[in-house]
Amino acid sequence: MVKSALALAVLTGLFASPALAQDLPKLTIYTYDGFAAEWGPGPGLKAGFEATCGCEVSWVAADSSIGTLRRVQLEGDATEADIIVGLDTAIAGEARATGLFADHGLTLTDLALPGEWTDTQFVPFDYAHFAMMYDTDTMTTPPTSFEELIALPEDIKITIQDPRSSTPGFGLVLWIKAAYGDRAKDIWAGLKPHILTVTRDWSESYDLFLSGEADMTLSYTTSPSYHIIEDGDDTIKAALFTEGHYPQIEVAGVLKSSDQQELAKQFLAYLVSADGQQIIPHTNWMFPVTDLGDKLDPAFAALPQPEKTLGFSDDEIAAHGREWIDEMLAAIQ
Amino acid sequence: MLTLPNRRIRIAAAITLAAAIAILIALVFWAILAAATEGSVGSRVDIPHLLRMTSIQAGLTTILSLLVGAALAWAMNRLRFPGRDLVVGLFASAIVTPGMVVAFGLLSIWGRNGWINRASEALFGFPLGNPAFGLSGILLAHVVLDGAFAARIMLARLDAIPSARLKTGQSLGLSPWQRFTLLDWPALRGTVPGLAAIIFLLAFTSFPIVLMLGGGPANQTLEVAIYAAVLQDFDLVGAVYLAATQITVCSLVILAASALAPIPTSFGASVAPRWRDAGLARALQIVVLGLGLIGFVLPLLSVLLDGFSSGMDRIIARPEFWWAAASSLLIGSASALLTLALALTLALGRGATGSGPLRTLLGMPAFAYLAVPAVVLSLGFFLLVRQVGLAPSAAAPFVVVIANSLLALPFAMATLGPPLEAIARTRGKLIRSLGLSGWRQFISVEYPLLGRDVGVMLALAFCFSLGDLGVIALFGTQDFQTLPLMMFRALGSYRGNDAAAIAAILLLGTIVAFLALPKLFERLAHAAR
Amino acid sequence: MLRVEDLRFAHPGQAVPYQFSLLAHAGEVTSVSGASGSGKSTLLDLLGGFLLPISGEITLDHENLVPLPPEQRPLSLLLQSDSLFDHLSAASNIALGLPRQTSKAQAREQIAAALAEVGLDGLSGQQAATLSGGQKQRVALARTLLRARPILLLDEPFSALDDETRGVIRDLVRTLTIRHRWHTVLVSHHADDVEALASRRYVLRDGVLMAG
Repeated sequence: MVKSALALAVLTGLFASPALAQDLPKLTIYTYDGFAAEWGPGPGLKAGFEATCGCEVSWVAADSSIGTLRRVQLEGDATEADIIVGLDTAIAGEARATGLFADHGLTLTDLALPGEWTDTQFVPFDYAHFAMMYDTDTMTTPPTSFEELIALPEDIKITIQDPRSSTPGFGLVLWIKAAYGDRAKDIWAGLKPHILTVTRDWSESYDLFLSGEADMTLSYTTSPSYHIIEDGDDTIKAALFTEGHYPQIEVAGVLKSSDQQELAKQFLAYLVSADGQQIIPHTNWMFPVTDLGDKLDPAFAALPQPEKTLGFSDDEIAAHGREWIDEMLAAIQ
Repeated sequence: MLTLPNRRIRIAAAITLAAAIAILIALVFWAILAAATEGSVGSRVDIPHLLRMTSIQAGLTTILSLLVGAALAWAMNRLRFPGRDLVVGLFASAIVTPGMVVAFGLLSIWGRNGWINRASEALFGFPLGNPAFGLSGILLAHVVLDGAFAARIMLARLDAIPSARLKTGQSLGLSPWQRFTLLDWPALRGTVPGLAAIIFLLAFTSFPIVLMLGGGPANQTLEVAIYAAVLQDFDLVGAVYLAATQITVCSLVILAASALAPIPTSFGASVAPRWRDAGLARALQIVVLGLGLIGFVLPLLSVLLDGFSSGMDRIIARPEFWWAAASSLLIGSASALLTLALALTLALGRGATGSGPLRTLLGMPAFAYLAVPAVVLSLGFFLLVRQVGLAPSAAAPFVVVIANSLLALPFAMATLGPPLEAIARTRGKLIRSLGLSGWRQFISVEYPLLGRDVGVMLALAFCFSLGDLGVIALFGTQDFQTLPLMMFRALGSYRGNDAAAIAAILLLGTIVAFLALPKLFERLAHAAR
Repeated sequence: MLRVEDLRFAHPGQAVPYQFSLLAHAGEVTSVSGASGSGKSTLLDLLGGFLLPISGEITLDHENLVPLPPEQRPLSLLLQSDSLFDHLSAASNIALGLPRQTSKAQAREQIAAALAEVGLDGLSGQQAATLSGGQKQRVALARTLLRARPILLLDEPFSALDDETRGVIRDLVRTLTIRHRWHTVLVSHHADDVEALASRRYVLRDGVLMAG
């Protein structure tokens, strides 16, 4: 027991919060862990913002983006968080309904987003459309719609994510509902024989696809850019569907309880500025929300984009989201 | 029982600890209920369906794992070959390797694009099919994880059959079947209830594997529903209700397992005479071992190959990797020592009492922890820490150490429990008549006889703690990263190669721990004789 | 006649090998005594076939036993303890001494006879774990009877017994040895056991077996 007490003492020393720079105002930002990871956008954004703000940025990473919201809800007014970064439009409605978020006060008119941005509380910082990925080595002519995918032989397998635990999983439910309305459950029933498995997280589905267990997987139109830029591999592509695609737009919001309102809003402004946006594509593998012109890597600029963007309002998602998930689960049960 | 030494302190300590664990779990639930202010959304879960599916899956997993484990232990006990220790180490390491790693290892062997199907395609021109998904996939993965663990525990019992008994048996010329039923089975029987309970609970609560290989929502566990209730619906009351359902079912299993009173196994240092089974039995042993190697060792081997062929240099060049490795080592060591203390306290207490109900009571809390859904624990611990007034990020390492120790506790009990009971029962009279104090009983009787088991247990707990971080999902772990966490983060950011490299390193560390720790402690304990 | 001739064996790391030579006649008890650690157990293991010698011979009436595996050696073992399987009944323990193809009726008859010969009538159904020390050794002897092997190896068989039982079991061993013409080898460090039973005595000193 002496030894373990010692080990614990060492542990505390090792993991105690890093020494804080004295007196600088501190901005605490909750996010999901991939965002704050050393290869994610977190470190770059921290360095970039700290260079001008005269403050210290501290990332606190929960294991999922919805986890950050739940944590803030549990902490209530006592929360340390000034900002949450990494919610998306599918849960923005629910987040807004908690009444925890303040107005951002920014003018967001010249964004390069599909559609207008009118949200007064959440600031978008990156986006991509959900899409089914395929590998040109094994699939020469990808389907161009869900109906074509359904018509393929049954040994063409796809991996998707559970809408109850994964953001893209929920995104696919919204996508199919937005594209097909009342026929959504027929589409799901048609997809059923093609579904190899429904994983908890995006990473498992994607790895199954990469290791050749599945022919297609649900991911983003921007996913190919990782393989082009990091691996020099251009065989991974997103299949574009004629019925249109549903976008995921990641957002950030300032908490009302924060005592650093000004600083927090400055951070949001930095996040959508050209300097901040430039960090996003190579670290989060999503499109920036402002037009970076030449500064955007050609691997991104050349990615094919869907012609039609589908969408639901916050209210529609809040009112029917659960019902749609249940419909999907029942159809593929 | 008059033959048992009177050990009031041991029993009292064990009762206190068991109560403390039960209280901790109660506090977790209370903290969640206290935080749940809003009205419940109402559960949307078809509980009877989920319970039925999960029970079928977990029941099949348990039966298959025990059968496979017993067969492997039987074959390994008889066969001597170079690298046997390594194979034993590999078997043991399966259960503590993160489930995802094993699942991907399995797929690279058994999957559509795996070695077996590709070999078959090259040889015969067609693939053999894909057993790796659906119920068969879940069972395959679980049996690899849990069957190997069962084999490790059972092998330890077989290797501990007293040599006098083996000599008698060999000189009587027992047939292989008689040898199994007369010598092996009585030694194995004691491990079955504990193992069955553990394996059932693991399979019942298995989350990532079931979701990944299950094929769809038909093969799901209650844990998924609980996860959704907490994170998606934020229906905390519903989550507690679901968690209580899961705990109730699991407790019934644990009770049933405890009711099958374990047969005290004989205990003795084993210098096994070279007693080979004849003919058919030996051939069967070689076949079992061969299948075991293909089923268990190849997937792990593929993880190692995969990891060392991709991105290893890139990952070890990162300072973050070394920080994470250091954190993992510290967390693992601290948890292992804490687990040892907890398991000894409980097991010594259990061994010291002859009362059935008390023994069950002392065993339950250790298992109960395994029955509590990870997301509920995570939430509960988070709320508790806040209520105590600690900063979650500062408390995170301690919570991880405590949570991992509790998680490893049933495994530690399964390792240390049977030999301790056997000692209490076979040497009890002697100890009693000598009037040894509890401390001397431990130092001069139990510890020297337990050395190897202590090593195995420490290796188990150490590697378990390398592998699990689910409990601090909400804590905000920016500066506190361990290797498994780093691996999952890499996997979530397209960096499959980095993840593969970390997985290989984790697996390697696990194997080394399982090879080295039992030997080390056997030597230490030997010095104490 | 059981003859052990210049049998040598060394445990790993043992510099000077053990050296055993011994003669044992049918119908007689031959004793081997010596301080603990002198090599008694090693000799028994060599005779039983659990260890293989470096050199030397073990012959029974000129047949070499060294190449035979333990189960084929013409001998029975009676150890200090652990000779019985605790969870089986006395009868089942004894039945292990019968050839496998023995019919049930025949087995029952032979077991009853053997139990009677060792003085344990009516105990056949009792579980071994609940037998007394003396009863256990009687059951083990009954099993030896059914096996009908010409050599009986005894390893401190009386140590766990009280004085009175000890005398009775000793007498039983002597009677059975004479009646069945066994070559009985008794390993013991109890002078009175040796005194009471052995007609030929050996002592182990510094790893060498000498006529005592």
